[in-house]
Amino acid sequence: MSAQSPTLELDANMDGRLKLDELVNREALTELCTSFFELFGIPVRIYSSEGALLADVSKPQEICGYVNAAQRGRSACATVVGEVRRADPGFAGDVVHMCFTGAAYRIIAIDYEGRQIGRLIVGPYLPAQTTEMPQSLLIAGGATASATDAATEGVVGGELEPTKARSLLFQMPRAKSDTITRLASHLKAVLDLVLFSGHRALLTSHMHLASVRESYRELEDKNRKLQATYDRLKELDRLKSNFLATVSHELRTPLTSIIGYSEMLTAGIAGPLSTEQMEFVQTIFEKGEQLLALILSLLDLSKLESGTMSVKLRRVDLGSVLTSAVSTLSPVAQKRSVALKVEVPPDLPAVHGDPERLRQIFQNLIENAIKFTPEGASISVVARPLPLVFGGNAGEESGFALLAPVRAFVEVRVIDSGIGIPDREKAKVFDAFYQVDSSSTREYGGTGLGLSIVKRLVEAHEGKVRIEDNTPQGAVFVVTLPVDRSPATTPSVPPGPG
Amino acid sequence: MQLNFAAREVTMKLVYYGPALSGKTTNLRALHQLTSQESRGRLMTLETKDDRTLFFDMLPLVFRAEGARGASAEDGKGMSLRVKVFTVPGQVLHASTRRLVLQGADGVAFIADSQIRETENNAAAFVDLRDNLRELGLSVAQMPLVIQFNKRDLPGVRTDAEIEVLARRGREPVFRASAVTGNGVLESFFSLLQLTWNRLDAEHQLGKNLGIDRERFLPMVAEKLGYRGDLETLLSAAVGGGPSAADSTGGETAGEPT
Repeated sequence: MSAQSPTLELDANMDGRLKLDELVNREALTELCTSFFELFGIPVRIYSSEGALLADVSKPQEICGYVNAAQRGRSACATVVGEVRRADPGFAGDVVHMCFTGAAYRIIAIDYEGRQIGRLIVGPYLPAQTTEMPQSLLIAGGATASATDAATEGVVGGELEPTKARSLLFQMPRAKSDTITRLASHLKAVLDLVLFSGHRALLTSHMHLASVRESYRELEDKNRKLQATYDRLKELDRLKSNFLATVSHELRTPLTSIIGYSEMLTAGIAGPLSTEQMEFVQTIFEKGEQLLALILSLLDLSKLESGTMSVKLRRVDLGSVLTSAVSTLSPVAQKRSVALKVEVPPDLPAVHGDPERLRQIFQNLIENAIKFTPEGASISVVARPLPLVFGGNAGEESGFALLAPVRAFVEVRVIDSGIGIPDREKAKVFDAFYQVDSSSTREYGGTGLGLSIVKRLVEAHEGKVRIEDNTPQGAVFVVTLPVDRSPATTPSVPPGPG
Repeated sequence: MQLNFAAREVTMKLVYYGPALSGKTTNLRALHQLTSQESRGRLMTLETKDDRTLFFDMLPLVFRAEGARGASAEDGKGMSLRVKVFTVPGQVLHASTRRLVLQGADGVAFIADSQIRETENNAAAFVDLRDNLRELGLSVAQMPLVIQFNKRDLPGVRTDAEIEVLARRGREPVFRASAVTGNGVLESFFSLLQLTWNRLDAEHQLGKNLGIDRERFLPMVAEKLGYRGDLETLLSAAVGGGPSAADSTGGETAGEPT
């Protein structure tokens, strides 16, 4: 099942083989056993089902030390300890293992959720009913079961002195069997609580991790789908731009002939034309020019959209760009009796831009202004340097004086006294094919492409364009362009990334 | 399901699913109360906030059985059935947690809220169950499933007659319950346990491989769950459930009552 979704790694049943040493911390277990030992003086050891010793709290018993000093005693003791370690009480089981000294070990199963996961070994302790030292102690060589046989072998511990052995044996902690049962069950209850808490913490953390992983997987899945959609849209957009570029190009070729021939006709190359004929041919010529302008704009726009328009940024004197744009358009302005003024301060810093594109920007804006300015009114083009702009968050960053990016801009305002642009339309006029009032297309002409080209071109210069209101009437198009920061001696800089 | 022949152990996972606040945790609490001390573990509740389940609740139950041929557990011929009962967090936002809990489920109890105004939430939660099962590569049609209409004690609930009509047209056994009073909790659980056992037995020949006599085993489990009557009565609390469910309960248990 987990093969379906590889990130679902959580143990499906949350019932993997629980291991004692994974559920509890060894130090905590030792502390628990230590407090038990301090209260009752009886040693405690805890083993996991895998046989690992997890806690061992005991004090060497003097009798054990004495027996161990004897060679045969040592090996007999090792045998008992090994047997105790291996003794398996089984699920919920509880067994007693006797030492040849007469001391007892209780081996009790530690169960959790119906499975044995470890053993508790309580002892050695001397059963309370013991009054006599067992024979087997002195026959320190045989294990408890074969004590009699060993006795017949007559290996009485010459190394062990009966009186001393007896007195040391009776120094051992003594306990009744049912006392041990009660103590052990108390210890088990405490341990069970510890295990439960440990298990819960383990599950919580597993669950938490798995949940996070699962949410991450879901998000990634969504991201992948979004990315695929995005890629598809981008591809469609590219196809659209390509299509537009191709179609515009194909439209331009025959149009050039139409304009050329009609121009030749008006020039009288094919003989004189009657007044009416001249009027007709001139209309063909004008409309042809209009159509050409529209197609060129479309081409520009598609190039800007597809990112194939090359903008070569270098040091540009904005004053001469503005003067040139104005002089190109002054015949149009004169025709509409609109006055055109340019104000460029002598100390205007050079900007970082492409002179051709900058001219296009301002020609578009001025043309637009002329179109919407009533006869007899005036249009001003005013340029001025802006105060320095400090980027970054002053006061929030250390080293602000060093790190803050300092940028300088020049602002050009194209001010008309036309019909103005309502606030809610200000952002939209830069959309391609948008005009505030679709009836204005008929009244004022234009394609609705000019401003969207302006915006894209200004952005390609890392500049900004916005619209303000002129008082009492009209609109102000404000273009800000970055000042060229390269040393004045350098005539040009390599094209920027934009 | 986890099957461990060496340890003679079967672990099944049952999941209580349903909309938020339909009483899944209350069902588990009631079940914990019913079960005999030696068969139940502690009810584990993970991370609750304002008494709402955040991750899940889990109730471990262990039923030890003697072998079918009269061999006792000490001979090693017995077996233990470990049942882990989970609840999912009902709140909509815990979708991924629900799927995680559902993973590896052997049977599902769908706890619906009987209040009429909860109808849509019940349906949405069931669709969520179906979708999550599908994500996990499982199908709701293949999953042992019981439906419980909980909160019968509240006003503004669907009528018994209405539930009966719906249940008879559906394929799953449907139970009416009031988990706060404990009514219907055992019936729903036992029915699910029995359906799941049948399903796993059919797939893995549990009874045959482990030497478990179903007719003795299931009544024993019922007894551990604090039930003293016969199984037929217990299972007849269900409405609907189709002919197959009725067959598997009636026919086999009739032969040898406890």
